[in-house]
Amino acid sequence: MEIPYYPGCTLKIKAMALDQSTVAAFGALGVSLKELPRWTCCGAVYPLTAKKIAGLAAPIRILREAKMMGSDTVVTACAFCYNVLKRANKDFTADPLRKKRINAYLADDVRVDETTGEKIREWPEYAGAEDVKVLHLLEFLRDRIGFHKIPVKKPLRGLRVAPYYGCTLLRPAKEIGLDDPERPTIMHDLLRSLGAEPIDFPFLNECCASFLSLTEPERALRPSYLIMSSAEAEGAQAIAVSCPLCYYNMEARQLEIRERYPDFKGMPVFYFTELLALGLGVTLDQAIGWKEHSVDVRRLLESAGLIDKGDAAPSQGPCRAKEEEPGRARPRGAAPVDAA
Amino acid sequence: MRVDLSSDEINRNLAEEIAELCGQDVLKCYQCGRCSAGCPMVEEMDLLPNQVARLIQMGLEQEVLDSKTVWLCVSCFMCQSRCPKGVDLPTLMESLRFLATKRGSDHFGPDRIDREVIAKAPQQGIVGAYRKQSS
Amino acid sequence: MKRIGVFVCHCGINIAGTVDVKKVVETLKGYSGIVHAEDYMFVCSEPGQALIRDTIKQKQLDAIVVAACSPSLHEATFRRVAQDAGLNPYQCEMANIREQCSWVHQADKEGATQKAVRIVRSLVEAVRYNEDLEPITVPVTRRAVVVGAGIAGIKAALDIADAGHEVLLIERNPSIGGRMIQLSETFPTLDCSQCILTPKMVAASRHPKIKILTYHEVVEISGFVGNFKVKLLKKPRYVKEGTCNLCNKCIEVCPVVVPSEFDMGLAWRKAIYLPFPQAVPSVFTLDEKSCLGLDPIRCGKCAEVCTPKAIDFDMGPEVFEVEAGAVVVATGFDLYPMSKLGEYGGEKYEDVINGLEFERILSASGPTGGQVRRPSDGRVPKDVVFIQCAGSRDPENHMPYCSKICCMYTAKHAMLYKHRVHDGNAHVFYIDVRTGGKDFEEFYQRAVEEDRVNYIRGKVSKVFKQGDKIVVWGVDTLSGKKVEVKADLVVLALPLVPSAGTEELFRKLRLSTNKHGFIQEAHPKLRPVEHPNSGFYLAGVAQGPKDIPEAVAQASGAAGKVGALFSAAELLREPTTAEVNDLCDGCAFCVDPCPVQAVTLVEYARDGEMKKKVEVNQALCLGCGVCMATCPKKGIAVRNFTADRFLSMVDAMLTD
Repeated sequence: MEIPYYPGCTLKIKAMALDQSTVAAFGALGVSLKELPRWTCCGAVYPLTAKKIAGLAAPIRILREAKMMGSDTVVTACAFCYNVLKRANKDFTADPLRKKRINAYLADDVRVDETTGEKIREWPEYAGAEDVKVLHLLEFLRDRIGFHKIPVKKPLRGLRVAPYYGCTLLRPAKEIGLDDPERPTIMHDLLRSLGAEPIDFPFLNECCASFLSLTEPERALRPSYLIMSSAEAEGAQAIAVSCPLCYYNMEARQLEIRERYPDFKGMPVFYFTELLALGLGVTLDQAIGWKEHSVDVRRLLESAGLIDKGDAAPSQGPCRAKEEEPGRARPRGAAPVDAA
Repeated sequence: MRVDLSSDEINRNLAEEIAELCGQDVLKCYQCGRCSAGCPMVEEMDLLPNQVARLIQMGLEQEVLDSKTVWLCVSCFMCQSRCPKGVDLPTLMESLRFLATKRGSDHFGPDRIDREVIAKAPQQGIVGAYRKQSS
Repeated sequence: MKRIGVFVCHCGINIAGTVDVKKVVETLKGYSGIVHAEDYMFVCSEPGQALIRDTIKQKQLDAIVVAACSPSLHEATFRRVAQDAGLNPYQCEMANIREQCSWVHQADKEGATQKAVRIVRSLVEAVRYNEDLEPITVPVTRRAVVVGAGIAGIKAALDIADAGHEVLLIERNPSIGGRMIQLSETFPTLDCSQCILTPKMVAASRHPKIKILTYHEVVEISGFVGNFKVKLLKKPRYVKEGTCNLCNKCIEVCPVVVPSEFDMGLAWRKAIYLPFPQAVPSVFTLDEKSCLGLDPIRCGKCAEVCTPKAIDFDMGPEVFEVEAGAVVVATGFDLYPMSKLGEYGGEKYEDVINGLEFERILSASGPTGGQVRRPSDGRVPKDVVFIQCAGSRDPENHMPYCSKICCMYTAKHAMLYKHRVHDGNAHVFYIDVRTGGKDFEEFYQRAVEEDRVNYIRGKVSKVFKQGDKIVVWGVDTLSGKKVEVKADLVVLALPLVPSAGTEELFRKLRLSTNKHGFIQEAHPKLRPVEHPNSGFYLAGVAQGPKDIPEAVAQASGAAGKVGALFSAAELLREPTTAEVNDLCDGCAFCVDPCPVQAVTLVEYARDGEMKKKVEVNQALCLGCGVCMATCPKKGIAVRNFTADRFLSMVDAMLTD
């Protein structure tokens, strides 16, 4: 099975663990995630004011690309991208005037034929949700494969993982419709099917403070602190997230959180796809994005019996693309950065 | 100082102007306060989210645009998801940010973030911050 | 040719402000048949009516057309005037030049005036066809069926019975008493609920004119006002009423333990049980759904120990029919399911409960003997949070309406809690406090000032467990502060919704409801105790959220209506019903479309041949005309609403 895949900008640079584990996990499921040949940033946030024509152009362009691949589905791993693409698709479909204007705007686009080098200006019109449906990985697993059908090679042996849903995956509920916004179960069900023990906790849908960690770093610590303390109080050994920004807020800033809240203990944070890949028997260096984990995960995985002490795996360290200059575009499809 | 609700200094059409910008009728809000009760950032805000709605209802534009509150909203949609009247507060906040940036200066820019943070932080956060907090 | 008089009303400026009434009168003078045309300020007034009456006599009019408001308001008025003046009342028609003309064309005065002329002319043509008609009389069965035996049903039954009429009081639960018997104390007096209700329950059971049928359900109601046939289902109790002596031996041996409905699941009962000590009738009931098995008998221990031999496993359901003249619907309410409020931890946390559960905890005869203890660990809660509007006033996600009684019962709950736990804290999160009844505002202020209940204005966003506390996240909009309470117990004031099963029941009985399932009243202001369907009356929360005084008042009102219905020797029905003529050849196209099944096909012999014709039950017929519309032969027509009459009306409207 081949499915168009939209990784989003963050997955290629700052959240390679999510990208890598996603591709590997789905490979193990017999699904080849084919990256869209041409894609750009989706815009990260969905524009909310009424004058939102321009803000829809990028997401619709991405969806048009999926259509041109001959598919009626596009899968994405990043919760922000999912939110933007899904809402853009819905609003676009509902408004014939917007449809017309955006298609007209996107008709001015140019692409280059890879073999002939010719500039092509012909584009199909995008019709909306009837052309392409946006699916998050979790939805794909639940609806197109079925959690019970996942071939678990390495059960997670009752590892107590708190599934953290965050905001963009669930809300606004009437537009996203992935799961119940107050009592979601989709990630719980996935973890359970992998043999882990999902730990329900009251803060699973509370916001992690999102991009405030960039604009008001001090003020953004409390939400993450509350979320992880809640998971800890319910007995979780680790937290599973689906969004690179949630990952950053909760994983990369644990020292800062402890400085502000001395009673904060902290815990390992995984992308849910890392656990999925692990459960599917994907090799360790592909399943876990070691370089992006600043909080040690090796000890937990060893004590849970999921990896042997001697297992070869790259040593951990804060990744964050230190070796590169920020802002330089990475070539598409390039392999992840080697262990330093 | 009494706020003179009959004076011409009040922007009586503020609710309509906001409605045009974002399609939300702020008069639907009956000030139950649930949005404020559930907002993750409320402890850092000067005005409570429901107070922002109230001030728009009253036409007191400047107080709202001068507040810290609109810049602390991250559109997590928790308020909208629980509002009994279906008021889309994140959208309302966005239109206020839009008005504020139109009339004043941007709230976020390259000078307001560390190079180190840019190096570490996921781009979606940087793009999101720029789009939400600058014009 | 009929001598027709036309009276054009100004209705103040309602009509005359748009329609030039004098011009209408002028235009109509000289129209064929009109021998008198006049305008007047308010024809419905006493002098207006006198004017019409006198003119009929003086000018020897044969028929009148009153051009004014809608016949739904004043047709009865003017028909009576016509009758007083010696005419058959059906020689009076109203031309609606207000709702159908002046009120909808306020911007086009000339157009409205011309339209008014056309409307009046069409009714003049119509009244030419009108025949003298006499009302149809039907007998009345002087027995009332009251569906639902809560406080409203009981009160209605008592009042109807006191007026001297027979009442069947039907209740689907094993005992009468409804919700009120579950309550601890009632506001604003803090009377013990069972103490004030049980005398009424006993009075109903003793009343010679009331027959109580518990564990019965209504299956179907056919017929029409004064002449209903009510089909009832008697569910098998497996215990003989009158023989059971309440010795309780069966409970001791029954092995099945299930949650008690009366105690809202906070206590247990056996499969064979008495719902509460003061149950009426006082007889045990064997719940076949939780019993281990009756066919074949899997256990049978209760029958073994029953000394008076009251248990009979061979009982079966019985369906039977009764005749009644009136039906009172008093089916009561349930609470909105707590599980729908995920953010409040409803059904997830044991210590988040609803108002009825708290009533059982407070009740002296309840699962905790009246001591306030929380369900999870039996501890006495030191901080109790009451959340008002938990699902009500929420058009976006739950119920849009206000459930009316929650502000009052929450104040009551908070006060009763404080009376029992002196060092406890009661926090009430509210958006408004609605205290519209008599002594209600004073009651609420007493809660704040005397009992020191802490009222916080702000709707709670989230409730979650932290250790053994329940944390409540709210806000105080008045001081502008976000607040939280680490509570031991949380009580939700959930919306009132119509009782389970009534949606289907009302649909079967063809009783209209509003979109939330509350049964419809005939007019929201002026006819609050009757349903638009004649013969059906309403009482209690079945019609909409209300408190006990209002339910009782409505029940008495319904009873009064029933009494009025029964006081007539016969019932009069409108004679504008369908009439079959000789053109009918029995094709029977009209039989199925009739909404009240008033048309039947009959065969008869004539001149040695079998012939077919339809017959119309005059008492059932509504005069809707559907039969007329389906008839290809012009063999059936509604009196005074014939096809020719309609065509003349149309011609009159379209001619310049």
